[in-house]
Amino acid sequence: MAIEPVPELQIIDRFGPHRLYSKGARLESGSEPDRLVQTHCCFCGMQCGIQLKVKGNEVIGFEPWEEFPFNKGMLCPKGVKRYLQGSHPDRLLTAYQRDPDSPNGFRTLPYDQAIKRVAAEIDRIQKAHGPDSFAVLGGASLTTEKAYLLGKFARVCLRTSNIDYNGRLCMVSAAAANKKAFGVDRAANPWDDILKAKVIWISGSNVAECFPILTDYIWQARENGARVIVVDPRITPIARTCDLFLPVKPGRDIALFNGILNLMIENNWLDHDFIQQHTVGFEQTAEHVREWTPRKTAEVTGIAERSIRQAAEWWGTASSSFLMHARGIEHHTHGVQNCLGAINIVLASGRIGREGCGYGTITGQGNGQGGREHGQKCDQLPGARDIENPSHRAHMAQFWGITPEELPRAGVDAYEMFRRIGRGEIKGMLSICFNPMVSLPDTTFVKWMLERLEFFVVIDFFMSETSRHADIVLPGSLHEEDEGTVTSAEGRVIKINKAIDCPGDARQDWRIIQDIAKALGRERGFTFGSPNEIFQELRGASAGGIADYSGITYEKIEQNMGVFWPCPSEDHPGTPRLFEKGSWNPIAKGAGPYYFPDGRARFNVAPYSPPAEDVDVDFPVILTTGRVVSQFLSGNQTRRIGPLVDQTPEPVIEIHPLLAEKHGIEDGDWVRIESRRSVCTLQARIVTTIRPDTVFVPYHWAGRKSINQVTIAAQDPISKIPEYKVCAVRLIRQYDPPDYLKELEPQQ
Amino acid sequence: MSTEKIKATIWATLVTAVLARLIVLGSNNLTNFDAALVGYTFATLFAAFGITRRYALWLQRPPTSIYWKRGWSVFFRMFRPRYAVGNLITFFRRLIIDFAFTSFIWRRGKLRWAAHWFTMWGSLTASAVTFPLVFGWIFFGTITDDPGWYRVYVVGYPTFAFPIQSFIGFMIFHALVWSAIMVIVGVLLALRRRLRDHGAISKQQFGEDFLPLFLLFAISVTGLMLTASYTWMKGYSYDFLAILHAITVIFTLLWLPFGKFFHIFQRSAQIGVAFYKDVGRQGEQAMCRRCGEPFASMMHIRDLIAVEQQLGYNYQMPDSPVEHYQWICPRCRRALLGLAQGSLWAASPGVSPK
Amino acid sequence: MPVHDQMEFFIDPSRCIGCQACVQACGECDTHKGVPMIHLEYVDRGHSTQTVPVVCMHCDSPTCAEVCPADAIKKTADGVVQTARKPRCVACNNCVLACPFGVPKMMTDFELMMKCDMCYDRTSAGKKPMCATVCPSGALFFGTRERIETMRPRGTPVNQFQFGTQTITTKVSMMVPKYAARIEHIDVAAAMNEGSGGKSISLNILTAVYNAKDEA
Repeated sequence: MAIEPVPELQIIDRFGPHRLYSKGARLESGSEPDRLVQTHCCFCGMQCGIQLKVKGNEVIGFEPWEEFPFNKGMLCPKGVKRYLQGSHPDRLLTAYQRDPDSPNGFRTLPYDQAIKRVAAEIDRIQKAHGPDSFAVLGGASLTTEKAYLLGKFARVCLRTSNIDYNGRLCMVSAAAANKKAFGVDRAANPWDDILKAKVIWISGSNVAECFPILTDYIWQARENGARVIVVDPRITPIARTCDLFLPVKPGRDIALFNGILNLMIENNWLDHDFIQQHTVGFEQTAEHVREWTPRKTAEVTGIAERSIRQAAEWWGTASSSFLMHARGIEHHTHGVQNCLGAINIVLASGRIGREGCGYGTITGQGNGQGGREHGQKCDQLPGARDIENPSHRAHMAQFWGITPEELPRAGVDAYEMFRRIGRGEIKGMLSICFNPMVSLPDTTFVKWMLERLEFFVVIDFFMSETSRHADIVLPGSLHEEDEGTVTSAEGRVIKINKAIDCPGDARQDWRIIQDIAKALGRERGFTFGSPNEIFQELRGASAGGIADYSGITYEKIEQNMGVFWPCPSEDHPGTPRLFEKGSWNPIAKGAGPYYFPDGRARFNVAPYSPPAEDVDVDFPVILTTGRVVSQFLSGNQTRRIGPLVDQTPEPVIEIHPLLAEKHGIEDGDWVRIESRRSVCTLQARIVTTIRPDTVFVPYHWAGRKSINQVTIAAQDPISKIPEYKVCAVRLIRQYDPPDYLKELEPQQ
Repeated sequence: MSTEKIKATIWATLVTAVLARLIVLGSNNLTNFDAALVGYTFATLFAAFGITRRYALWLQRPPTSIYWKRGWSVFFRMFRPRYAVGNLITFFRRLIIDFAFTSFIWRRGKLRWAAHWFTMWGSLTASAVTFPLVFGWIFFGTITDDPGWYRVYVVGYPTFAFPIQSFIGFMIFHALVWSAIMVIVGVLLALRRRLRDHGAISKQQFGEDFLPLFLLFAISVTGLMLTASYTWMKGYSYDFLAILHAITVIFTLLWLPFGKFFHIFQRSAQIGVAFYKDVGRQGEQAMCRRCGEPFASMMHIRDLIAVEQQLGYNYQMPDSPVEHYQWICPRCRRALLGLAQGSLWAASPGVSPK
Repeated sequence: MPVHDQMEFFIDPSRCIGCQACVQACGECDTHKGVPMIHLEYVDRGHSTQTVPVVCMHCDSPTCAEVCPADAIKKTADGVVQTARKPRCVACNNCVLACPFGVPKMMTDFELMMKCDMCYDRTSAGKKPMCATVCPSGALFFGTRERIETMRPRGTPVNQFQFGTQTITTKVSMMVPKYAARIEHIDVAAAMNEGSGGKSISLNILTAVYNAKDEA
């Protein structure tokens, strides 16, 4: 019965999101903290070091941690104000049960009863409809320990193949492309290599807002003589003063990369030795890109031919370089192809695997990297093993003490799970660290599907928009209430430290999962006493795998301020830079630095195809979506932090004056954005910093303010990432503000 | 000596002389004057001289002087029949809200307000009792036909009477005790803040911030000890305590014109400023000559330009329609700073060594 | 304790990404907790993402202090122009209107001017100001002159600013390009005729694309 029990406004009234500001000890300038806890930010993939000021059982503020090498004390506004997520009036302190008779839709119930009810429902559904009828959704903000445990829980305890996670919306295109090209999914270089690069290529990443600390690396590289090339449909803050700006038409990145490779070949800006010794497949790729003449590339991408030639020349003739990309090229139905195109120009230049020569995707979530390596991804087992590979299956089955036959096969991606609900194949679901009601495309569909579930349980610390649909909500733990490891976007395994205890009836998430296993009567393998015990098992599980953590310990992480995987033994220092000449890996076994039996990287033909939904007469405008600096993902945390809400209270639609004029829209007007799915009405901000054929809306808001009502659920055939970055819309100026303006606070 | 100083000294002498004369007159040619309090009187005269001199010097600084003059012209305008009633109401409302209740300090912080409010009202009541008594302007006389009653004489004239053994009598005779307790509460609260608050700790100085608290504390404690001595201890070391108390008070009086306590006299400007702003709001507004938005009153900007010229600043922009940098609003000044620096980088051919 | 004389503040608005980490962190400082003192302005959001962070420049001869009728603004011996002394400030707004950089803030509720004091509680204890510690882009930097010179080979610090006929020398320096002819001062008033800077989307191509689609 996963239908919202009472109207939305009543749930919001009790559970928020409400805004919290500093008060009491947090505002008093005489408060002495009891202690400073060195940990990391709970938000993006940069994982900046931060010290939390703790007084009693409350985080009262922060102090920069200048010794941590990645960020040296730097923080973005989210990191600065993250301490306000604790001691929040919206914090869930007990378990809740759906109750349409309660004025706010939920009533409290004792934790033990809630667990019993969850176990009973899982049992009932699985007995009636088979193990796969119960699904698990995870998230990439969980520590690696929790992600590992959740994967093990789904496969060993629930025996369901239906587990996937919100990393599906994040970097899976890059992951798939990296595996195709390099055989391994990790940023090839540490960020330090940016500083030594002479050309920096940034494709589809609003670095300044999504990964602010990386800005310093890029500006510092420029001080050292680097040129910066930015490819983006908007003049983002990082693009404003870059050396070359390529205003690409959304969805056309692969055309650009193919065009660049063609120019590199034409001008012989190639590293022939590297191509010959370390790669395969160059000829076919070269043949394929021949059609991508500068003119054709310019026509398709909407970038001036002159700029394309300039970019190719700078890239082609650079002595060292760093190419990075993010969701801008990954959130597409051809996201994997886009990334392969990017990798092709890196491989052709031969600038990878050495100092100052690098490539990497900028993973968006806090544990985007670690969260996908150890088993909550539908097709992956711990150690980044392949669930369909018989020897990998056998290894993990033995490790977990089950037979390979008992180990479920590959499941489907998170979005497909919702379609499976529609087909009646999934009847029950457990969700943790995922807010699909905000973050998945076409949220109307997601809502319908959730409503068809027989039983829905959510583990969360706040009543997210998704948990409003839950039958049972279990009070989980905030980042600062637990310890564990995460792996940052550069592959650095770091340690999250516990600052305070869970308040009220709230529990650390791994305890909740184990409690459910126990209530199901299958607690074998789920009796860990601490995150470190889980980590010890995880080390063993990952040993010999690609993402080998076996040589990493908590002590080693703290001593070295992080350890880069692979780290196959305790005396191994870790591997900041992959693919160095002569490096060893468990696949190539010395044949070469890349993770294929022959040790060579792969060129992949990356054919261009337009977005799933191109513009037409009815829907003539391209909609693209993204982030703003003061909010994070679905906003379940950041929309409750007052100062961050004040920085960007509500989403606005960015429109170029030419487009606005055509629609009679002026700055501040209300605009109805219509797609084939649904509509969303937002205020206009008229700016010349966006292509005139494209509009932009940030996606952190929920309900009627969610642009994901409008976006398309088309997915990449390989990575299954949804095409958030392009869909077709039309704009209609509104003369009256929408109803929500009166009914809701900005963050709600 | 500069003209300013000469002027200030003349004013100070004048005020001191007037005060001395008033003391003589008010005490009925010193017949009601208690000779034991002569030390206090001279310290007060010195303080009057010092405060007036500093006040007069302060008023002659260009920015203060312009406010002073404007303040008075605004003040007289206030009492033109058309505005008088409204303005008087505003005047008293401000007096009560800003001075009696110090509501602006309340908004800065509750504890901070408590510290200030207790100290302020404790000191004010104590002064209101002490100075007239010292000057002999007020004294208590027994009523001949009823020794149980006291009559209050003000500048020699009899006013109301009250029974000595009564609640009112108790309250009046112990007025200084109550004020001392208030001051002590206020000072302790203030000290607590000074010892805990990281911001305060980084900036405070002994003379500016601690000394005034110690002085008020010393006056209050020695005063209370005097009461304790004659109430419960049969006057044990009363003379010594009296001298100690006198020393603390006299030192404070002598220090009054120099340190933090001078703000008591300066603060009155706050009301003038409020009326200056009222008048400014009603008059013509200055429009920013970059963004075109109003940002201050025309009167204020013109006054400020005049003050800056007197101070020797040259923010004129002779070749520009802007005329003077003062005609740009603060927000645009910040934007201009960014633009100026940004254009240097944009224009520089060598910024990214290629 | 005074601010260490080797430690200086350098700002480079051209690096600024407008993230407001400085604004959010400024409010965490103990001398003005809960009230951010730094300004972060969009120069002209309609045309550019250019932003400028403005901290107090701590002028050698601070106009704000001199126009103060209440004598409330004082410069300490280490050159830091302190925020208004609370007992004295009468909230007249002179400093807000006179500061050529637009720094002081009038807190109407408190009847008090407050301004950036270089996080005196931190800098006087050997730490960096909050804004310059957290700034992710290096637009705000606090450290030695030697350090900035090695880290920023393209730039050089300047601490003279021109406003019409008035030159103001400050304790805080601003980074200007080094390779250009030596820049003596930054002429702020001359920027009156500048448009907001940065990259633009080349309209000839895009208009063509846009129109073509429209015809189809």
